[in-house]
Amino acid sequence: MGSETSVSRFIGKFSVLFFGVFIILISSCSKEPVRQTIPDPVPPPDDSATYANGFFIINEGNFNWGNASITFVENDTGIAYQQIFQQVNHRPLGDVAQSMKVMNDRGYIVVNNSNRVEVVDLGQFKTIKSIGGFNSPRYLEFIDSTKAYVTNLYKDICVLDLTTLTITKTIVTPEWTEGMISYSHYMFVTCIGRFSEPCSKRKAKLFIIDTRVDEIVDSIQTSTEPVGIVIDKKLKMWVLCSGGWDQYEHPFLLRINPDLRQVEKAFTIPGTGVPSRLNINPSGDTLYYLNGGIFQMAVSDADLPSQPLIPAGGHLFYGLAIHPGNGSIFATDAIDYVQDGMAFQFSSSNGALLRSWATGRIPSFFCFGEVRYRKSIE
Amino acid sequence: MTGIGKHLKNSFLTLLLILIWTLASGQQPSDTLRLKEVEVKASFTVDNMGFKRVRIDSTILTPRQDASLATILSQYSTIFIKSYGSNNLATPAFRGTTAHHTIVEWNGITINSPMLGQIDLTQLPVSQFQGIDILYGASGLSRTSGAFGGIIDLKTNPDWNNRILAGIAQTIASFNNYNTVVTAIVGNENIQSQTRFNIGTGKNDFPFYNDYSGQTEKLINGAFTQYGLSEDFFAKVKNRHLITARIWYNYSRREIPPLNTNINPDHAENQEDKSLRSLVEYKYIQRDLSVSVTSALLDDYLHYINDSLNAEHQYYSVINRIRVNYSPLRKVTIQPGLDLTHDWVNSDAYLVQKQRTVVGGFAELIYRPSPVFTLSVLARIELVDGELMPFIPAIGVECKPFRKINLSLSANLSKNYRYPSLNDLYWGTWGNPDLLPEISYGAEGGITWNWLDRSSAFFLETELTGYYTLLKDLIVWSPSNNSSSIWMPENVSEVAARGIEAGINTTLAYWKSNLDMNITYNFCKSTYQKENSPNGASIGNQLIYTPVHTMNASLKFEKKGYYASYIFNFIGRRYLGKENTAYMPGYNLSNIFFGKNFHLKDFILSLQVEINNLFDLDYQSIANRPMPGRNFAVTIRGSFKKSSD
Repeated sequence: MGSETSVSRFIGKFSVLFFGVFIILISSCSKEPVRQTIPDPVPPPDDSATYANGFFIINEGNFNWGNASITFVENDTGIAYQQIFQQVNHRPLGDVAQSMKVMNDRGYIVVNNSNRVEVVDLGQFKTIKSIGGFNSPRYLEFIDSTKAYVTNLYKDICVLDLTTLTITKTIVTPEWTEGMISYSHYMFVTCIGRFSEPCSKRKAKLFIIDTRVDEIVDSIQTSTEPVGIVIDKKLKMWVLCSGGWDQYEHPFLLRINPDLRQVEKAFTIPGTGVPSRLNINPSGDTLYYLNGGIFQMAVSDADLPSQPLIPAGGHLFYGLAIHPGNGSIFATDAIDYVQDGMAFQFSSSNGALLRSWATGRIPSFFCFGEVRYRKSIE
Repeated sequence: MTGIGKHLKNSFLTLLLILIWTLASGQQPSDTLRLKEVEVKASFTVDNMGFKRVRIDSTILTPRQDASLATILSQYSTIFIKSYGSNNLATPAFRGTTAHHTIVEWNGITINSPMLGQIDLTQLPVSQFQGIDILYGASGLSRTSGAFGGIIDLKTNPDWNNRILAGIAQTIASFNNYNTVVTAIVGNENIQSQTRFNIGTGKNDFPFYNDYSGQTEKLINGAFTQYGLSEDFFAKVKNRHLITARIWYNYSRREIPPLNTNINPDHAENQEDKSLRSLVEYKYIQRDLSVSVTSALLDDYLHYINDSLNAEHQYYSVINRIRVNYSPLRKVTIQPGLDLTHDWVNSDAYLVQKQRTVVGGFAELIYRPSPVFTLSVLARIELVDGELMPFIPAIGVECKPFRKINLSLSANLSKNYRYPSLNDLYWGTWGNPDLLPEISYGAEGGITWNWLDRSSAFFLETELTGYYTLLKDLIVWSPSNNSSSIWMPENVSEVAARGIEAGINTTLAYWKSNLDMNITYNFCKSTYQKENSPNGASIGNQLIYTPVHTMNASLKFEKKGYYASYIFNFIGRRYLGKENTAYMPGYNLSNIFFGKNFHLKDFILSLQVEINNLFDLDYQSIANRPMPGRNFAVTIRGSFKKSSD
């Protein structure tokens, strides 16, 4: 018994010693803050000329994960630089980056669930100001070089002073406003209805705002959930109504006469999908939208296309844009939302795949630098 | 005193046999080993040999009455707890599975929400139960289906030797957090009543460094109020009949703190939960036959509010269980059982009221040809709303090759399934009523050895388990129909989880002091086995937010009424995407608590100080969800205790 006891005492002492050493070893470990880490990212370009020669992919990120990011693609090399905002500014971009616009060497990134517009200097992508005070902002549209509107999920449209980078005024809606297009001295804004209500109760419409006084002067009733708006070469507006995220009604493509403020034609979009991402090419004669695959339609066509130009083929097309210079088609694949996505460039003539890039999480929006969309008639 | 001492030692040996490792400290007011002795001998157990189970008993829980189940499991078990912040949502995951594959039971009754298929562990305060049984993998099959990872059973048992045990504990903690626990346990050798009340309130406004704003801020919208009242009533007649009645009401109202990138006081989220759980149980106990009939009613209400959503969800579940344990021959035990569950759900998220009926039958055959070998065969079959579910069998073997060495080898093979949650089936217009059940196939093998030296002064226990589980037809909400805006649950994912769990526990009792040491290590490689997108790159990658390595260690010292515990947790790297690039780095946390028990006849007065996150680590468990730095809690506890001799 005695020997056994001494053996056990030895084991006991040894284990305590072991434990003590172990604790000391562990406690002396690094005390670096435990934060999201990206292994070995390609450093963002430090040449300010580079950002002028490429485009940005806005990666929405997962809702309530705070993992929105910006991918920059350099035109000449085709290199995709990931997480450029975080790498340059050493902080997260925020939660759900919705859209981005560029004017006068400044980038305006709308970060929806963080309620902010991040203003960056396009030279180095350094932050100039993080503007707060929005109500779940969606899209930004410039009125002129000193003023922009920002649509919100709730309450109002914010009027942004681009000189002071402050919200100077709000236009009470008080509903969910989404897409914008300027026409003469008016801004046409799609309004989905009250966010807190189901589609059956939401009153969808197009607000017409006089940009000289920042007041709603008129509205046009639309079908359920008008998510996109563009203007064509004949100065007709096209509004894509998704039918509702819960498929409340059939989706529609509406053609609107902005002078008469009337719906001229309503195309019923067939199928069971929820169409999105209405775009127009730089010459203003061809429309594009997502409805599973990528659909293409001439503004003069009497009917909607029955087949997509580019079938989904297993992709989850999530973002769509038409290059404002050459008219080629850019689309993203969000894959399954739980891994980093992809972006593609397709030919607008035959839909052939031209290039592809890896992106961040849930790539959704493209920003092609300073080149202006054809969206206003001066 | 010597009588009690002998009793304690006998109990200790009994406990070893069922792999319970505890310390005969006798200092914790509500812990008596005699209670366990009675329970071990008289318990109508459906325990399987060859199936792993672990217990966290009252020696661990008693000093931590202010904690939630989430805290205790993350500190003392190998179950990974995914926590969204202190007092915010925390869900468990065993062995590389998800929260949906972990079932939490309250005295044998499933309390996972039939809507969500999971439960928030912060809503289960430790003060409302006495012990935790953890059933790993296939060992849960004797209870219910669907626990691919395992079952966490919250237990409260009677101590027939107790005459009166009354206690009150008050905790004052950092960040304006307060907790009060009142316990009253009275009875005699035939009737016992246990009443427990707890109330916790807090502002939870801890400071943290916000990378997003670049400054130190205080957490906003983190306040909570939580209270609970429970009664457990036990009556036994002639050691043959045991009647149990339990009721537990829990109320919680809490603010849900925002992501550190979304701090905006105008968009606050709040949640209110009310749960009423009740059960009655009758047990008939004979030498070779025992029967138990349990009927439980769960009433659960959840109210979620933010600035655009105000949703109420109410469910009721009636759960009935019949268990029989019959030994027709000395070497054979048969354990058949019958389950009947009915759920009703009224939810703002469902188009109409939904109901579900599950009828299940199971039988287990235990064959012990010799003391060396035990074989257990088990099968379960269920009908869900009249539809026959897959047949789920399991087989377990246990071998104790040596008479004088407490060495046990065990292994099991199993199949299991989990039916979809009601949300998966019926949520809004997207629920998918055509979902199939998820399926798992598991294999497991383990070795356990323990040794108590002859002076009973040193106890050593080690355990090593390896497992492999293949999970098929896993339900994932994903964009469907080639449309990014329509999300539907589908049976699309496949996961393989394999791992090793190792543990070593020692207890030393010398020089009128006790020293306990406990180390567990968990290796878990849980990988995606199926990719549904041509551009996806997830096959072979680790599941998101699932650490490969986790380790817990604790050291506890007691002498002359003084006690001190050091608790160490390591959580390895967790990936943030299926492509396995961005990750949360691994980190380790240290917590300590120490105190003194003052004995004044039948009174015990305890003073305790707790220091959490001892080294003030600035960490996030989930990206952009701040966690508190070093924080303190002081507890004063008074109790009065009288037992029969």
